[in-house]
Amino acid sequence: MMLLRLISWPYARKHGFRWLLTIAGIVLGVAVFVGMHTANQSVLAAFQQTIDRIAGKAQLQVTAGEPGFDEGVLDKVRSLPEVSAAAPVIEATVSAGGTNLLILGVDMLGDRSLRTYDLENSEDGIDDPLVFLAQPDSLMVSKTLADRKGLTIGSRLPLDTMAGQEVFIVRGIMQPGGLAGAFGGDLAVMDIYAAEKMFGRGKRFDRVDLALKEGVSLDEGEEKLKASLGPGFQVEPPSSRGQQFEATSRVYAIASDITSLFALFIGMFIIYNTFAIAVTQRRAEIGILRALGATRAQIRTLFLAESALTGLAGTALGIVAGLALARAMAGYIGSLLQDVYGVAQGAGEITLDPKLALAAGAMGVLTSLVAAVIPARNAARVDPVKALQKGQYQSLSEGENRARRRWAIACVCASLVALGFGRIGVVLYAGFLLAVLAAVLLSPAVTLWLARAIRPVLAKVRPVEGTLAADSLIQAPRRTSGTVAALMLSLALVVSLGGLARASYDAIAEWMHVSLNLDLLVTPVENLTNRTFVLPESLGAGLRAIPGVADVQMVRGVRIQVNGSPVMLLAADHGALMRFSHQPLVAGHPARMLEQTLAGAGAIASENFVTLHGAKLGDSVEIPSPSGMLHMRIAGVVRDFTDQQGTLFISRDAYVRAWNDTGITSFGIFLKPGFSAPGVRQAILNAFSAKSRIFVMTNAEVRGYIDRLTNQWFGLTYVQIAVAVLVAILGIVNALTVSITDRRRELGVLQAVGGLRWQIRHTIWMEAAAIGVIGLALGLGLGAVQLYYSVQVTQRDIIGIDLGYAYPFGIAFGLLPVILGAAWLAALGPGEQAVRGSLVEALEYE
Amino acid sequence: MNKIAIILLAAAAGVAWGQDGHQIMLEVQKRQHTNSMRYEGTLYSCTSPKGCPANSKALVTKRWVYERIGDFGKSKGILRFTGPAEVKGVALLIVNHPDAASDQWLWRPAVGREQKVAVQDRSTRFFGTDFTFEDLEERDADQYTYTIDGEMNGQWKIDAKPKKASGYTHCYFYIDKTNYTFQRIECYNKKGLARTIDYTDFEMIQGIWTARSVGVIDTIRKTRTAMHYDKVDYNLPLKDEAFTVEALRIAE
Amino acid sequence: MISLKGVSKQFDGARKVTALDRIDLEICRGELVAIVGPSGSGKSTLLNLIGGLDRATSGEVVLDGSALSQLSDDELTRIRRDKIGFIFQFFNLLPTLSCLENVSLPLHLRGWPRKKTAERARELLELVKLDARMDHLPDELSGGERQRVAIARALSVYPPVLLADEPTGNLDSVTGLEILDLIHDLHQRLGSTVLVVTHDAGVAESCARTIHIRDGRVFEDVTK
Repeated sequence: MMLLRLISWPYARKHGFRWLLTIAGIVLGVAVFVGMHTANQSVLAAFQQTIDRIAGKAQLQVTAGEPGFDEGVLDKVRSLPEVSAAAPVIEATVSAGGTNLLILGVDMLGDRSLRTYDLENSEDGIDDPLVFLAQPDSLMVSKTLADRKGLTIGSRLPLDTMAGQEVFIVRGIMQPGGLAGAFGGDLAVMDIYAAEKMFGRGKRFDRVDLALKEGVSLDEGEEKLKASLGPGFQVEPPSSRGQQFEATSRVYAIASDITSLFALFIGMFIIYNTFAIAVTQRRAEIGILRALGATRAQIRTLFLAESALTGLAGTALGIVAGLALARAMAGYIGSLLQDVYGVAQGAGEITLDPKLALAAGAMGVLTSLVAAVIPARNAARVDPVKALQKGQYQSLSEGENRARRRWAIACVCASLVALGFGRIGVVLYAGFLLAVLAAVLLSPAVTLWLARAIRPVLAKVRPVEGTLAADSLIQAPRRTSGTVAALMLSLALVVSLGGLARASYDAIAEWMHVSLNLDLLVTPVENLTNRTFVLPESLGAGLRAIPGVADVQMVRGVRIQVNGSPVMLLAADHGALMRFSHQPLVAGHPARMLEQTLAGAGAIASENFVTLHGAKLGDSVEIPSPSGMLHMRIAGVVRDFTDQQGTLFISRDAYVRAWNDTGITSFGIFLKPGFSAPGVRQAILNAFSAKSRIFVMTNAEVRGYIDRLTNQWFGLTYVQIAVAVLVAILGIVNALTVSITDRRRELGVLQAVGGLRWQIRHTIWMEAAAIGVIGLALGLGLGAVQLYYSVQVTQRDIIGIDLGYAYPFGIAFGLLPVILGAAWLAALGPGEQAVRGSLVEALEYE
Repeated sequence: MNKIAIILLAAAAGVAWGQDGHQIMLEVQKRQHTNSMRYEGTLYSCTSPKGCPANSKALVTKRWVYERIGDFGKSKGILRFTGPAEVKGVALLIVNHPDAASDQWLWRPAVGREQKVAVQDRSTRFFGTDFTFEDLEERDADQYTYTIDGEMNGQWKIDAKPKKASGYTHCYFYIDKTNYTFQRIECYNKKGLARTIDYTDFEMIQGIWTARSVGVIDTIRKTRTAMHYDKVDYNLPLKDEAFTVEALRIAE
Repeated sequence: MISLKGVSKQFDGARKVTALDRIDLEICRGELVAIVGPSGSGKSTLLNLIGGLDRATSGEVVLDGSALSQLSDDELTRIRRDKIGFIFQFFNLLPTLSCLENVSLPLHLRGWPRKKTAERARELLELVKLDARMDHLPDELSGGERQRVAIARALSVYPPVLLADEPTGNLDSVTGLEILDLIHDLHQRLGSTVLVVTHDAGVAESCARTIHIRDGRVFEDVTK
């Protein structure tokens, strides 16, 4: 394609900065897409690898949710004739000097039949198994960890335990590869009975890994084990843990995919804009090419090839940015993983999946190509004779506008029809898309109309500058409409996400007010999501005896599997259940639901549990427990934000009966009047912190913690919003840069007849402000529509909670100065450019 | 009757005449018979495949006491480590059954709980030594089938195949023809020769020929364990109650 | 009124081009001067320097007592808007503004009140006999009419100096004569100093003084 090199390259080089702006949208869209999916995949791959490596030769794993099960289950498993070897496992992460360490508690006697530790051939990996077993402080660490922390045989490593920090002694070093490579090498193995003690688990195992006898198929073994253990146990191959995670992380992918789609959409308009401008600017050039014999098809191909290259460049940059983004997000997803599956995964290797790169490339190039279709067609239609005559640029034809309007109306109608079908997934998303499409199609006409409407207003403010600014918009709809559309889309994104965030914060605040009205919270860990450690029930009596304590409420939080998906189970005593039953009610009757739940016949479900599991009030939920399947009626539905996967509240008595587990994850403490929270906290710490690992949070700290979590959840969203708006602002810069080039002579005349520099700047600024105001008007309007869909999608596919529709007027008003300010900033550069340069040249410019 | 049991029992002397393998083994068993016994000894394991010169870091030394009562096949024994300090108190109770795998319990004072050793785990090494948990099990002479594979250097070479489930496919027993003591054992698993045990320093103690030194070589890992019996007593007044799980916990 | 002392102008490019070479010139108040010469001789450059659209490389242009080289960009603009009216070959009217708005432009830029601006703009359009076309856009006018709007705009504050660069260059000869007549008429009625750059011998003929520029130097300076 010689034309590309001869014709396009010099133009691109001359307008380098503008091209960079142009691809910003694609960069953003691709970056978010690649970043989120790469992070997901990387974490998943690392997670899978950890699972595989830890699983060793284990073919099946027996689990019963987070609380695990009694040791006796192991004998039951071993007694089955199909099982050749079974070994118990406790898996937990603890922090050791800033890094998260995966602790694998195994039965050192028999575990080697399932796992290889690779100690033997190491120079310094000499282990004395007898000493290792005899001393509960024995630890076997991976070579990676040993190197990183400078550990050798006999080194001391302090770790958090139920009884506070204790020093462990390295008595074995595992060679890299195999098991030692799990969890990115941050792995330590200890005796399972020592681990039980360390994590306060009592005589319970998390899991039993097993291998089947030769000739026993996986399905057969699974079936036999299930039959023997009962429905409360999960018997699955190790790999299925990864599959479950995949399903969970998909939710996050949906949210980010919508954002990247928007970014690409915004990018598409900026590209359209740039190409439309390029075609008008290069009319003469196109005319010459045509006069020299280039066919229409050649011209069209030239522009399409340019756009494809643009898309490719954007994709490439986007992938680079995406990989950086993935690194940041991997940590976040990893912590989610730890919360949901108990296996944290540190930052794994971030590697780009070629398939993903291909998809991103296709997305980027396609977006760019679609954006360039109309400009390329217009370029092909350029009349060589007219193009070579000096004169005004052609403006958008009325017919084209009418066609667009017709399409827009069709889209509006279709999306209204889609609304009628409400919550059906495809229809909802289609309706969403159509509404956005309609807005996009209508935006040029509305832009023109609004520009005409504000012309008198601008003229009143500044007769010359205002009028010229408005006229500039009216005269060059191509220059403006793409920018306005991009601005509209990004502002709509701000409004909808902002509205969503606002609604979430409000709902969470309301929930916290009821659900977390306690004075102090006693937990075995410094945060509320980690459930590595469990406190003994007996601590409750001790806490009651502290002066100033009026009431102590006990809650055991565990992650379990209901219908194959993870759910948070909160087993609460009488007082705590009463508190939970007063959370914002969605369905049911507070007193009745409390009564049924206390009786052990029912469970209170969170709104998102009901939505995500398609259940309703009165339905029976099957909760697997080690003593069999519990059938609980949904006695009530409340709005609860404890967990994104859904929460079930049951009575603690029922839990203890079914799980034979009396551990407690949090004690809620209510004070007698006249006692201060800090004072009682100190008393509690004085009484217990020497014996047991406890943390005491005041109400404000708990709320602060939840606020931080919420902020974290929205943090990424804010970044995306910021970048989307930035891209749109860059669009303004782009439009203005072109505008001052187009209007060089006009601005020259203005200066020649006495316009001072500030007056020239003002007209540019006003043009920017006008673009801002029009984009704002359209964006705030589209935002209202988009917020509706966002609320629906959030409820349906993301958190399962109906946040309600509340237009964020605060944000909308807040945007006005922000966008005007941003527009002004965007206009600074072009404004300066406009007053620089030779007047003489400007006047002769054509 | 098997390796460590034999290691611990050592061997007794006797006279032989035309016998088949089974008869020889019964005679071996008979000559070693005691009501009870108590050994005190030292165990040296060399955990480095490159060999362990004296004072090598890879040479691990432990002191232990072994007590046993009861007849072959249904005896009970407790192996208790007495030194060094970091392993002191760790004990293994073995209750043998004539027609089933033995029950074994491990007691770890620092962890504060006993733990049953599962049958599946019996072929794993016993705490870094070169014998397995199965090697600690005592099997009656009737639990093998025997074929005499030849005679040399005044020894019978007897091929013994276990009747019960075992980590070994078969072993060769080398029995001294004059005093019916084990001189050497070679055990094979599916992969080939896995372990060899050599008995030396024989001494007649209370009428029983006893080897004071036993060397075990893991031929696959190329590591070796040596044991020396410092003190041997037979027919002591030991009580049955001392060989229970409860006793395991109490007796420190 | 206008005084040039040793004014040179060079254009920097791949090759240095000397457009004007040490020009000394004195033009008195109320003179009507034609500047003629072949294309590329530097006559337009001379006009741009006098009008403050461009700056001399060396030498000094003094306009009504102000030395232009000493002035900042904005001060230069103030000189332009208070003392100079420009008439361009290509009219340089703003296409989106009506005739009235185009003429009002410099007045608005001076910050004149709306009413006063409108009155003056009407007065000027009457002066150039276009009072019937006030609300038309430039596109709807003939070339001569457009140039008349441009002249009206140039006269907005009745500047003492009027600079015209090929005012008839883009017009047919009949219209060109009309415009020339208008310029003469205004010169007489308003007493402005008028400089006309032209290569039209007829235009030059009609002026009292003719300055010939050739290769960046004053080749001939004839006063009738």
